[in-house]
Amino acid sequence: MAKEDSKVAMVAVLTIIMILSATVLTFVFGFTKPKIDAYAAQQKKKAILNVLPGATKYKTIQKGNLELYKGYDKNGDLVGTAIETKGPGFQGMIKLMLGMNLKNDKVLAIKILSHLETPGLGARITEPWFENQFKNKQFNDKFKAKSDVKAIAGATISTQAVSDIIENTIQKVQKVTDGGE
Amino acid sequence: MELLLVFLGASITNNFILARFLGICPFLGVSKEVPTAFSMGLATTFVMTTSAMVVWFVQTFILEKFGLPYLQYVAFILVISAFVQLTEMAVRKISEPLYKALGIFLPLITTNCAILGLALLIPLKGYSFIESTIFGFGAGVGFTLAMVLMAGMRERLAFADVPEPLQGAPMTLIIAGMMAMAFMGFSGMIAM
Amino acid sequence: MSLWKEFAKGLWDENPVWVLLLGMCPLLAVTNTAVNGLAMGLATAFVLLGGGIVNSLLKNVIPHKVRIPCYIVVIATFVTIADYVMAAYFPEVHKLLGLFIPLIVVNCLILGRSESFATQNPVHYAISDALGMGVGFTWALTFLGIIREIFGFGSIFGVQVLGDWFTPWIIAVLPAGAFLTMGIVLAIFNVLKSGSTSEAECH
Repeated sequence: MAKEDSKVAMVAVLTIIMILSATVLTFVFGFTKPKIDAYAAQQKKKAILNVLPGATKYKTIQKGNLELYKGYDKNGDLVGTAIETKGPGFQGMIKLMLGMNLKNDKVLAIKILSHLETPGLGARITEPWFENQFKNKQFNDKFKAKSDVKAIAGATISTQAVSDIIENTIQKVQKVTDGGE
Repeated sequence: MELLLVFLGASITNNFILARFLGICPFLGVSKEVPTAFSMGLATTFVMTTSAMVVWFVQTFILEKFGLPYLQYVAFILVISAFVQLTEMAVRKISEPLYKALGIFLPLITTNCAILGLALLIPLKGYSFIESTIFGFGAGVGFTLAMVLMAGMRERLAFADVPEPLQGAPMTLIIAGMMAMAFMGFSGMIAM
Repeated sequence: MSLWKEFAKGLWDENPVWVLLLGMCPLLAVTNTAVNGLAMGLATAFVLLGGGIVNSLLKNVIPHKVRIPCYIVVIATFVTIADYVMAAYFPEVHKLLGLFIPLIVVNCLILGRSESFATQNPVHYAISDALGMGVGFTWALTFLGIIREIFGFGSIFGVQVLGDWFTPWIIAVLPAGAFLTMGIVLAIFNVLKSGSTSEAECH
């Protein structure tokens, strides 16, 4: 290459490299996208069925501005309703899936999907004993850490954050469904 | 109020250097003296604030509009490096003293991962234009704060009797660890 | 100059982490467990190799003045490939590494090797250098990950190795612990190398 590069060459080479780059990436994207989407869908299904014990399939419905997932068991009977929700935790957003039985106003189960809590302290919200304690909680319970919710030692704020998210979500769901199905 | 929270979150509780590990290279490399650290901080703050705005436009009006998420990294890094280049030229034209103070730091900023990290965080957080700008500015202020604090400590440390194996990088890292612990005290004060 | 020498220097004598102190951001951020360190190291090695080969092949085509933008575009392309492939085939790991995969683009190690080695040497030496640096980077990250995981969770690669008696030092997996562990490990290495101290420089 000559020492003094012409402007045309500079622009041309940069443009060609960018076009090549975009072409390669379009191909890679097209190739991997179905897999990524399939994984996301499968994760979502797993999370939904996880919080609706006994359910084998679900249906997505739109109530008000909320997206609800109705889970059915293999006889086609309604098991409960699930919703994906999130709220502020100690350090970042906590995302969780909440399964509810709207007939008797009880929580079926919860599953923490993602969080940014402190490892070893707040991050223990993903441990089974913590998630399981919300099973069968009445909608009108207090949802207070250290009272009716067992707190994680050293992470009362994370515990309360999860409880608040659940409580707020229940209220939102009840508003759009008016207590009925 | 919202904006104040965005600002404090970016600068203090989720400090780019001490909590997100972005921009460690200049933090370790250019923090020997307070004045240089401060100039580097200023230059970075300027680039962060402005590239936050540019990136928001690129993301909203190009990448999202035309459905090109997979070109995000290439587009952002190009925008940033082009932008840093432009800033350098503009500063040189506008003010000679300013160029002397900031000029040498500007090329370094392109490869400062704090800038690209900031760019990538903006779409993730779904900020509006104003929020993005404040976020970029806050991140820059937090970066400057950490840089200047570090430089202040290292200036003192120059007179201390540090055991030989710890001299240089090891000692710097250990001080950084202690600063990170101190900044942990802020965590949780602002829910993001 | 032999291919083996170019490869071996990255492992220890010119190890990108312990000696050159490059790529500190991902090093500190993702090494809270051994698996994360390993995955990040491999992703970086892939980009290092791909970017090294392409940039080395293109060295006579690219005009000198625009070489940095060209290198960056090539590197960013490989990073995006790594990102999507990981998301498709190793989604769990991809989720853990999160933001730090795209940040491989600005890892000074990669641009540094492209600029100072790959484009100055024939392609087979570039490959050998990239592999050596990649392996060197990977083992350093994995090593740091193992140390922090033992202290922070009492496990290695997710397998519990310390019993119930062990109270995890949570600090080791927090940001502060990253700095402290790295500082102490570097100091120990300095002692091993009998006192030769290194200075933090990125560029």
